[in-house]
Amino acid sequence: MDFIAPLIFVILAAIVVAGGLAVVLLPRITGSALSMGLSFLGMAGLFALLGAETIAFFQVLIYVGAITVLILYGVMLTGVAPAGADRRLFFQKQAGWALVPLKFVGVVATVFALSFQSNVVQQPGGDLEPLANAVFRDYAFPFEVASVLLLAAMIGAIALVKRGDD
Amino acid sequence: MSPPGVLVPGPFGIDPLVWVVLRLLIAVLLVVGLIFNGALLQILMERKLQAWAQDRVGPYHVGPWGLLQTFADALKLIGKEDVRSRFTDAAFFLTAPAITFTPMVAAWVVIPFAPGVQGIDINIGLLYLSSLGAMGVLGIVIAGWASNNKYSLIGGLRSAGQLISYEVPQILSLVTVVLLAGSLQLTKIATAQPGLQLNLFILPAAFLTYFIAALAETNRTPFDLPEAESELVAGYLTEYSGMRWGTFLALTEYGNVTIVSSIMTTLWLGGWNGPLVDQAPILGVLWFTLKVYVIIVAFMWIRLTLPRFRIDQLMNFCWKVLIPLTLTNLFVTATLKVALPAPWDLIAIGILNWGLVAAFIVLIPRLQRRRLERLRERLRTERERTLAPTA
Repeated sequence: MDFIAPLIFVILAAIVVAGGLAVVLLPRITGSALSMGLSFLGMAGLFALLGAETIAFFQVLIYVGAITVLILYGVMLTGVAPAGADRRLFFQKQAGWALVPLKFVGVVATVFALSFQSNVVQQPGGDLEPLANAVFRDYAFPFEVASVLLLAAMIGAIALVKRGDD
Repeated sequence: MSPPGVLVPGPFGIDPLVWVVLRLLIAVLLVVGLIFNGALLQILMERKLQAWAQDRVGPYHVGPWGLLQTFADALKLIGKEDVRSRFTDAAFFLTAPAITFTPMVAAWVVIPFAPGVQGIDINIGLLYLSSLGAMGVLGIVIAGWASNNKYSLIGGLRSAGQLISYEVPQILSLVTVVLLAGSLQLTKIATAQPGLQLNLFILPAAFLTYFIAALAETNRTPFDLPEAESELVAGYLTEYSGMRWGTFLALTEYGNVTIVSSIMTTLWLGGWNGPLVDQAPILGVLWFTLKVYVIIVAFMWIRLTLPRFRIDQLMNFCWKVLIPLTLTNLFVTATLKVALPAPWDLIAIGILNWGLVAAFIVLIPRLQRRRLERLRERLRTERERTLAPTA
């Protein structure tokens, strides 16, 4: 048994990393969007492996089912750049090279500083009630405020798009 | 059932490690067999029912009473040459059927056929089914895009819009049932409806909205716009042929119909509950299958009866009728559930739900008629205004 969980972890981690790399490296943006979906799916698998099944399936529901489709939709409506066209800003590549190591160090440092000191072991399938309690009782007010904020953003977006329509 | 992550030795002294793999293989083969046979059976059923409704004979050449017709069709599809237009996007075109097919197969894991006859009884079964239902859209969009065909692209985008819109009332109707049952676990929801205390009688409005949304989610008439042949040839299926087409249309569509019918059976019709199940639990499979097929026949009946929606009608119906209705239902159900003590909340929710159903049936045609009258009125005045100078 001892080697199965790490083995699954390695496979899922490879899927996540490969998906992430494909998002950046694939020439076509549709391919990037799909690889992002794959990467999200691998991440959902990692959550499930940690015993956080509810979060895993919300990950699939929201990120794979909604966000990826939304991005594909956006890609299809914006049209394809002609081959060879370079639409990058002049500093875009350099900024990327500068930011990636910084972020990598930051993420790794955060992970090692926080997660490995926590000793809370999650029972499989037991994260539904803690999650519900957190969202609807302990942090109900921030949750509602965030939803009102999102609603305001949505209405603002509709107002911007609809301007001068009628 | 053992908790996940613990190895159990298999029957006949099979090594636990081998049994893990073997069990998976058996389960997958069983599910794929069920899906194939279900699709074959349902297509035959659909064709026969359609034929009877239209006063025809239906398939009758192959086998006695045409029973083997769909088997012959399936063999033909598998034997067909795998044709692909040169200008399609190879990788995406070939993977798209798989992307819609796999979530459908995965959904079978949690369907409770009978007590103990279930892949895995996770406590968030309903969430699992919803999230897998959301994944199928991806394949359809990709198929539409990769076909490099305008009809396919429009079909795929339409389908994505439709599926994402109708997911909202679908999940909101599910939440209403979850509120009443107090669990996302499918077996618990099924056992929370003993005898004739079915959710169908307590939450008919939620059933109605889920039923309509499920018709839309599975691309059945009157919501089969993505493949509206009069406008879009065959929508996202236009460039597909052979077994790729078969995977898309026959297997995925009928598999999804079976899954939403199973969800309805579990949530509103009491799942496997029926006479004599307590004595012989395996009878549950029979009752479950019967209930599922009653709903599938209802789906087919609707297909025979109703014409197809127009795209603007489809969106209007979802956002202006179904979502307000489900939101009202959810809000009132939650309030009553909290406000009233145990037996009275069910009665109050039941009365209210039947009221909502009555309002839906009475008010919607009236509103529609009024809207049409106003539209005609506006057209008339506009015509008069434009014709006035020339006259």
